[in-house]
Amino acid sequence: MARFAPVLLFAPCAFAYAVFFIWPQASLLAMSATEKAGFTLAQYERFFVDSYYWEMLGRTLWLGFAVTAITLLLGVPTAYLLARSQSRWASFLLLLTTFPLLVSAVVRSFGWMVLFFRDGLLSRTLLALGIVNHPVQTMYTMTGVIIALAQVLLPLMILTLHGVFKSIDRDLEYAAMSLGARPSVALGLVTFRLASGGIVAGSLLVFSLAISAFATPSLVGGARANVMATAIYEQAVELLDWPFAAALATILLVVVLAVSLAYGALLEGRADKEASR
Amino acid sequence: MTISLRSPLGIAMLVLTALAFGYLLLPILVVVAAPLGDTGYLAFPPQGLTLKWYAAALHDTRYLTALLVSLRIAVISAIIACALGVSAAYALTRFDFPGRRLLEAVFLSPLILPTLVLAVGLTLFFTRTGLLAGPWKLVAGHVIVCTPYVLRVSLPVLRRFDRSLEEAARNLGASPVAAFFLVVLPVVRPGIVAGTVLAFITSFDEVVLALFLAEPGAPTLPVTIYSAVQLGFEPSVAAVSGLLVLATLGFMLLYHLLGSVGRSRN
Repeated sequence: MARFAPVLLFAPCAFAYAVFFIWPQASLLAMSATEKAGFTLAQYERFFVDSYYWEMLGRTLWLGFAVTAITLLLGVPTAYLLARSQSRWASFLLLLTTFPLLVSAVVRSFGWMVLFFRDGLLSRTLLALGIVNHPVQTMYTMTGVIIALAQVLLPLMILTLHGVFKSIDRDLEYAAMSLGARPSVALGLVTFRLASGGIVAGSLLVFSLAISAFATPSLVGGARANVMATAIYEQAVELLDWPFAAALATILLVVVLAVSLAYGALLEGRADKEASR
Repeated sequence: MTISLRSPLGIAMLVLTALAFGYLLLPILVVVAAPLGDTGYLAFPPQGLTLKWYAAALHDTRYLTALLVSLRIAVISAIIACALGVSAAYALTRFDFPGRRLLEAVFLSPLILPTLVLAVGLTLFFTRTGLLAGPWKLVAGHVIVCTPYVLRVSLPVLRRFDRSLEEAARNLGASPVAAFFLVVLPVVRPGIVAGTVLAFITSFDEVVLALFLAEPGAPTLPVTIYSAVQLGFEPSVAAVSGLLVLATLGFMLLYHLLGSVGRSRN
């Protein structure tokens, strides 16, 4: 009996995953590569011979890079200050960081839409500051999608980096400084170097979520800022071209898996380097 | 603080942090404040002050029905995810068996799978097999998305759990099941509750699976808001979103209050 206890305990979970996760994903993969006659790569060929889809893939990756860059720029200092601050406000601010995560991405994107419209706050502020001389439309542009999606994913970057900075002993910074390093040098040479693994982890997390996000690109970007996710939805729900939707979904999945594998390899390479020292 | 906040680097970091918080909270503030304006369209900052859009939102049966659908699906999904996740986490931490690490990786893998890919796969699957009906299709999808969250929170909690406590209970004559419920569960409960709450919120906010799998006649609240936003900018949609934000804020404060009360009691 005791030998079967673990099997009995994980069996319900394994069963649910087998039926509702592995089987559907396998049949998705199969559908993208079969037709009546049997095996075919026609759906993939359709994607890779058309420059329209290459551009879309490029746009999706650009969205991932831009969103990652913004969340890094704002996330690194915020996470660092929150991790190092001894003020009792720090825990309140950390709570404030998690709050947007609890609000649906649909609702947050909606907030941006109100700001982005032609006579919205963003356009009026830019006019008042003299940066532009005619009303700008940020709605239905990639810029709008990038701004909105970076906000949606910023809390995840801050929370990941906060954990990383917390785990780095601040005495190391003091040690570097007592040896003559300026504070900025100590920060760069010691803390950010030790945190680089965590920074890469946070970046890859944000990147893979950004390239697979649907709600924000679909609401803020509309048809004009077409990315992989919105194209999959369009093919499946509006055009009912399920084989092509399945192929697009598989391509997106491969990109996301490649990012995750790169992350795993990076971690392992780092571990090897540490071990060989 | 190692870095002086008065040095150029410190000032730059402070400015960026202030920007980050402004950036994080701005769209949420917009959603709460914009429907207070008494213009017939949405504007931020709002012009005038009225509660009529909020009142209209509360009386709109579409949103109320959708809210109930969302709550029901989120509660059922969270309970199933909790049961599946905790029993699997217990097996993974308590026993050593071949393939344990692989199984753990598989159980956590939906975290990296784009929800949209899962949604397309599940829609095809349900269409072909005819399995499950009504709200259960969406529940199945949400369980797959939510279980990894329960696992990720409860795995470390169960790993940290001092196993000698459980062995002591067994030595005193408790059955394995009794030892789990009387000794293990009370200790790891905060972690399990946190995981289940996370699962509930994930299901409640989730829109992609819901777009594909919800019953056409009974969309969830995020789907209803999504469709309404796409159709046009009614102030009442913003009011519903605003109410959702305020309810989330209340929920979060209550959770933390209860959490700190629980901690001070122990």
